[in-house]
Amino acid sequence: MELEILAFPCDTQTDVVCTPPFVNELFETPDVFTIFGVGVNRAMLLMFVAAFVVIALLYFALRKRAVVPSKFGTAVESLLTLVKDEIATGIIGPQGAKYAPYLISIFLFILVGNLMEITPFINFPITSRMALPAFLAILTWVIFVFAGFKEQGLGYLGHIVWPKDVPIALRWLVGIIEFVSIFLVRPFSLAVRLFANLVAGHVMLTLLLVTGYVYVVGFSNATFNGLFGALWWVLALAIFLFEVVVSILQAYIFTLLSAVYIQTSVHPEH
Amino acid sequence: MTEIEITKGAIALIGYGLAAIGPGVGIGILAGNAVQAMARQPEAAGMVRTTMFLGIAFTEALALIGFVLFFLA
Repeated sequence: MELEILAFPCDTQTDVVCTPPFVNELFETPDVFTIFGVGVNRAMLLMFVAAFVVIALLYFALRKRAVVPSKFGTAVESLLTLVKDEIATGIIGPQGAKYAPYLISIFLFILVGNLMEITPFINFPITSRMALPAFLAILTWVIFVFAGFKEQGLGYLGHIVWPKDVPIALRWLVGIIEFVSIFLVRPFSLAVRLFANLVAGHVMLTLLLVTGYVYVVGFSNATFNGLFGALWWVLALAIFLFEVVVSILQAYIFTLLSAVYIQTSVHPEH
Repeated sequence: MTEIEITKGAIALIGYGLAAIGPGVGIGILAGNAVQAMARQPEAAGMVRTTMFLGIAFTEALALIGFVLFFLA
């Protein structure tokens, strides 16, 4: 029988294990439709869905101001309080309050985007395409560089490339290392961390579920293959639970690191 | 897939495995010490946990860069 797995045809009668031609097959998203010559693929559509979900979540949770909010409102409020108190003012300090809206936005957007990985019928984390983590990391980069220049003026760059508390013979070397680590490595590692975590989870889930599917549906005539397929699915379910934790943790870590980077720009001495 | 491509993939896999050793050891030490700190001083648990996540995030980045290089290879 002919199966359509990972967007390429796979004949289970001849191929024992349907290997994808290359791992990059997993990263190809065909265009769903084309509008004015611009192809729109699934990741872009889901990005709009994620933004819409965040807006709807905030709107319905905070629509009515009541003395005793509803259960849903309380849950969303405690999430926002976590980001605002623990991350924004907890790490940046009193000035952190003005960065709280940005941190809350990226936290909720990344959280919804990550949780799409384990949402049935979507099963595709939008943050596992490098474009989105890279854009969010560049946004954080722009904000912390801008905050640094705003709080310290040109002294921000001066402190980095010519640190005063280092022996004079080593200052140029430390300056170069600091410059590269702050302006190049920081955004790169921020983006890669989110991207790689989600890709790893997505590939793992894809492999487990497809293997189970091939065993159960592909060659169901053999005796034990259905059992093997069910075992793969049990393993995939365990990984689903693990991915819930990873999704929440990665959204938290991205927000936390953004706050830490903004904090190092706002307070130079520590 | 040609022989060279298969060999390249295999070497990239080994490279990712090597890249995962250091961060694995590092995260183990980090989490172990964080648990110790939390057990000794439970009232500081919140602060220790935040710092632990930060440390894990920085340590983990090395393994993840290896993972990305595996795809790029």
